[in-house]
Amino acid sequence: MTQLIWNGIFIGSFYALVALGYSMVYGIIKLLNFAHGDIYMLGAFAGFAMLTAFGGAIGGGSIVALLVVLVLSMLGTGIFGVVLERVAYRPVRSAPRLNALITAVGASFTIEYGMSLIAGPNPRVYPVQLTGTPFTVLGARINEQQVILIVVALVLMVGMNLWVVRTRSGRAMRAISQDPKACLYMGVKVDNVISWAFFIGSALAGAAGVMAGAYFGSITFLMGFIIGLKAFTAAVIGGIGNIPGAMLGGILLGLLESFGTAWLGGQWRDVFTFVVLILLLTVRPTGLLGERVTERV
Amino acid sequence: MKLHTRFLAAAAAAGMAVATLAGCGSSGSGSSGDTITLGMVVPLTGSSAAIGPYMQNGAQLAINEINDAGGVLGKKLQLEVQDGACDSKSASTAANKLVSDKVTVSVGGYCSGATLPTLPIFNNANIPMIIPAANSDDLVNQKLPLVFLINGTGTQQAAAAMKFMTKENAKKVALMDDSTSYSTNITKNVAALMKKDSSGPQQAIHESVTAGESDYSANVNAVIKASPDFVYWTGYYQEGGLIIKQLRQAGYTGKIMVADGSVDAKLIQIAGQANAQGVFATMTQTPETIPDGAAWIAKYKKAFDNKAPGPYSTQSYDAVRVAAEAIKNANSTDGKAIATALEKIDGFKLFSGPLKFTPEHTLSSGGFLILVVKGDKFDVQDQLQD
Repeated sequence: MTQLIWNGIFIGSFYALVALGYSMVYGIIKLLNFAHGDIYMLGAFAGFAMLTAFGGAIGGGSIVALLVVLVLSMLGTGIFGVVLERVAYRPVRSAPRLNALITAVGASFTIEYGMSLIAGPNPRVYPVQLTGTPFTVLGARINEQQVILIVVALVLMVGMNLWVVRTRSGRAMRAISQDPKACLYMGVKVDNVISWAFFIGSALAGAAGVMAGAYFGSITFLMGFIIGLKAFTAAVIGGIGNIPGAMLGGILLGLLESFGTAWLGGQWRDVFTFVVLILLLTVRPTGLLGERVTERV
Repeated sequence: MKLHTRFLAAAAAAGMAVATLAGCGSSGSGSSGDTITLGMVVPLTGSSAAIGPYMQNGAQLAINEINDAGGVLGKKLQLEVQDGACDSKSASTAANKLVSDKVTVSVGGYCSGATLPTLPIFNNANIPMIIPAANSDDLVNQKLPLVFLINGTGTQQAAAAMKFMTKENAKKVALMDDSTSYSTNITKNVAALMKKDSSGPQQAIHESVTAGESDYSANVNAVIKASPDFVYWTGYYQEGGLIIKQLRQAGYTGKIMVADGSVDAKLIQIAGQANAQGVFATMTQTPETIPDGAAWIAKYKKAFDNKAPGPYSTQSYDAVRVAAEAIKNANSTDGKAIATALEKIDGFKLFSGPLKFTPEHTLSSGGFLILVVKGDKFDVQDQLQD
């Protein structure tokens, strides 16, 4: 039982990290950024490239070296996210919602197969992998590296939440999500704030990618597809546009999958997960923490 | 406006170029010209994109050799490859393209799930299929007259797996598949064999995973709870490597075996060499496991910039040779005549042994053997000859 909960929380924290960017972007410009999962993949490959190139220079498998690579990859994917928004999404921002959606699908394929051209279609194996000794807590088998990853994920999520709640640009972001036009009139630099949202969301996804590479060990150009869908699901469960909701949704999705597999077997996992999801959305159509939108006349 | 006209001119030029190319293609392909075209649908993109080039090169090597020896029926062979992406829709489109290009025989097919929908397309166009890699029983269950498999089938692989597990004294077996046609075909056959014989190995759990994920800890957890002493994974190497790694991380110390879709050096790299040591595999003959394989590998490397052959290079090579043999024996490029000639082939030498098709158009002997991971590669463990 404790093992199931632990497994669920562990995979859920990956979902949560990716879901945050999904939810944040949707909250601000109402765009489902389908390329978000592929930014996770880019993060994994950025980390892979750095570790392969400088593996010897930064001293192999030390945690510090990995953290440096993590931060650099986050920076890289963050900038990529900003460029992606500037090149692909900004030109269609005022067009009907469907145009932006299709652009996002196109961006997703472009990134996937672009990476396949650059790095090849074969799976790559991370040169540095986290190792640690397992120990047992309340009957659950836990690895040291799992604990490290969950702590890193938590720090990133809490940091981001503080940024949104406490800082000026965070406040601007929340304001834009309520009324972009009024913000423009009030002198908020809407474009800049949207760029920031993309930067932070993409950086978090990139961090999740590096962590997945260092923990699971193998990366491919299609690795972002499924986790992108899962993160989207997590964002919807939590209430899309709501940041603590995305975190909660990610963990809940991880737990549902873990228990679904244990109770019904792997072949029924997704059926179980999505039946629960549908039931949940019938009871709370806006997700766990989503706000009820009142129609104003 | 000037830009506009220039664009139009460029478009017209491009259009003409395409038309010229297409003209070349149509005059060169089909059985009417002085060449015979063999078609091949293999994954060049998607999750199995790594396999396509191995198969394409294997087939091309055979074609080069046959052409150097004078071709077939006085005509040169040529290969046309289309991307099936291991996806049923892409594969159907690719098959239709090959049909419209009038190929004489199809020598492709890797993912069983993607190959299935292409069968009626080729069959209706009177094009025989010699399938080198895909080996789900579903492929021959429809009993289409022009479908031939030259890889061992799921039934044969399951029988080989069962034989080895009994030899290894396995008691409780965990079967793991990835829900694809190829993978579940093997697990279902093994499960049926275990049910039939209550004295041999018994099924402890049957677990299916979703391909393409990274975290299989939930599935691994369920497997370990059933406390098996033998795990048989029948999916592909990418998930296989992760599952082996996560099984070992979760404290599983029993035996692990994988099916032929997982036999690739990448499996060992992904699992980590320490975790993969001693992992068994059910596999058909490869150039590494046959006596005169080294010479063939050298030939392959010479032809393709020193690149080593991979999974199903040999089977694709054989598929082309079988196709050429059948066309020669039939003395015709008509699909039905070729199929009749294929049925009559007896003793033609393949990597997997002498060829003779069963009435179901599968190999009469699957030629499966057991490999084991030693260091960073697969070695022969047991030829399963007794």
